[in-house]
Amino acid sequence: MTASPTPEEIALLARQAGLDLPPAYLKELTEAYGNVRQMIDRIPTGRPRGDEPAHVFVPTKFLPAGE
Amino acid sequence: MDLPHEPTQLTAMSIAALGAAFRAGTLSPVTLTQACLDRIARFDNTLHSFITVTADRALATARKAEAELKAGQDRGPFHGIPYALKDIVDAEGVPTTAHSRLMPETPATTDAHVTALLEKAGGILLGKLGTFEFALGGPSWDLPWPPPLNPWNTDFLPGGSSSGSGTAVAAGFVPAAIGTDTGGSVRWPAACCGIVGLKPTYGRISRRGVQPNTFSIDHCGPMTRTVRDCAIMLGAIAGHDPLDPGSLEAPVPDYVAALTGDIKGTRIGLIRNWYAGEATAEVTEAVDRAAVLLASLGAIVEEVVLPDIGHYADAKTLISMSELFTIHAPDLRTRPEMFGAKLRQRVIGGAFIRAEDYLNAQRWRAELARGLNAQFGKFDALVTAGWLNAADPADPAGSDFFRRGRNVTMPFSVAGVPSLSVPIGFGAHGLPLAMQVAGPPLAEATVLRIGHAYEQATEWHTKSPVLHAGVSA
Repeated sequence: MTASPTPEEIALLARQAGLDLPPAYLKELTEAYGNVRQMIDRIPTGRPRGDEPAHVFVPTKFLPAGE
Repeated sequence: MDLPHEPTQLTAMSIAALGAAFRAGTLSPVTLTQACLDRIARFDNTLHSFITVTADRALATARKAEAELKAGQDRGPFHGIPYALKDIVDAEGVPTTAHSRLMPETPATTDAHVTALLEKAGGILLGKLGTFEFALGGPSWDLPWPPPLNPWNTDFLPGGSSSGSGTAVAAGFVPAAIGTDTGGSVRWPAACCGIVGLKPTYGRISRRGVQPNTFSIDHCGPMTRTVRDCAIMLGAIAGHDPLDPGSLEAPVPDYVAALTGDIKGTRIGLIRNWYAGEATAEVTEAVDRAAVLLASLGAIVEEVVLPDIGHYADAKTLISMSELFTIHAPDLRTRPEMFGAKLRQRVIGGAFIRAEDYLNAQRWRAELARGLNAQFGKFDALVTAGWLNAADPADPAGSDFFRRGRNVTMPFSVAGVPSLSVPIGFGAHGLPLAMQVAGPPLAEATVLRIGHAYEQATEWHTKSPVLHAGVSA
């Protein structure tokens, strides 16, 4: 599991994410991020380059309304 | 109008029975609608299922339905049937609150696609129902509306996020409601409230006009008291919507006709490793008994072992948190104090998920979905627990999302396949228990047929909670 980030690292990451949060919410962010980090670490990686995600674009689905 | 029905009987009747009474001329949609409104007025100050009751609109629509039915202008089996919407679903002229301070108080200007179809089918909108905030953050006691409570025992919650939908249907306020389901939000409250809930195939029902939770996993679904009613409601709302990019272009079969009662030779895979050792003893025993009953009805039930449910939860949760953050980041940056704490805690965790992590989760989803769908080469359907425990206590200090127990509904969310929650008995504190019946993509008819056969061999669907009127606020 990834080592827990320091409060300073969390504050930096929050700023990079466009979040200027009061201290109470930074605590929430730190706790949530710890849980998220664990999930990220459990997702298998090292996949082939061509391994498609469950995520496709169907061009006919994005026509202007009414077409 | 001849009225052989007592009001309490009316509000417990199935859609199928109500429709028969309308067409026999023994019951008017106006009488039924008034009975539902009276019941809401009497009991919902305790249960808190409705955020908005649209009484005048409902009675006007009921009068129109009565006139149309008298004139032989029959719109089908949902004609004259009261229903309600989870309050993330738009209805023209009614505010959509999403159970949140973040939403404007102005009325929606158009119907959601699902609402428009129910109106076209002759349904009678009774109002909008409580939910976890934006179908995610809850149950919450720090919002303008209290969380709905479980009608079987008000010391407990109804599950969520379609909490008001579960409560309102089980309490007999409406015979049908719309819920939405991203990780189990139709099936969990259905399980906790002892009703039937269907998460259909992804794209089977349009999501247009519904506040998003996770674009790539959101579903709308019917919640009713019987499987037949679920089939009737699904028939009214399934179909292609060209304005929903996720909508499927596939024919809509006659779901009611599929309810033959015959499941002889149907191959069912029992995913026991998702609940045995994971669920409470009462859930495990009830699902095991349900599987035995399905076998006694002629199904070929064989145990199958699938990957740990935690894998599906990791994929689903990372995908959801990424999409949720994108949806709610503007509000989080400018007015975080307006969020309920539980919604904010869920959304905030998505701030640092990288695109690489999101797409790896989508790759993992694809692999998990392929693996689950491979089972449908061997089985017509899969059966497992509906939820791993009965309803949670109504405790404001209760566990947050990350500490909540493991989730048995998410695998079918990740795979986007239909999954039906069916009541299978009662446990401690008089609280309902449930199983899920899942099938391959677009096999709603199959899961409904199996659920119906089980239901007809049991009496769970005939039970109703005894309500107690509270003190008006």
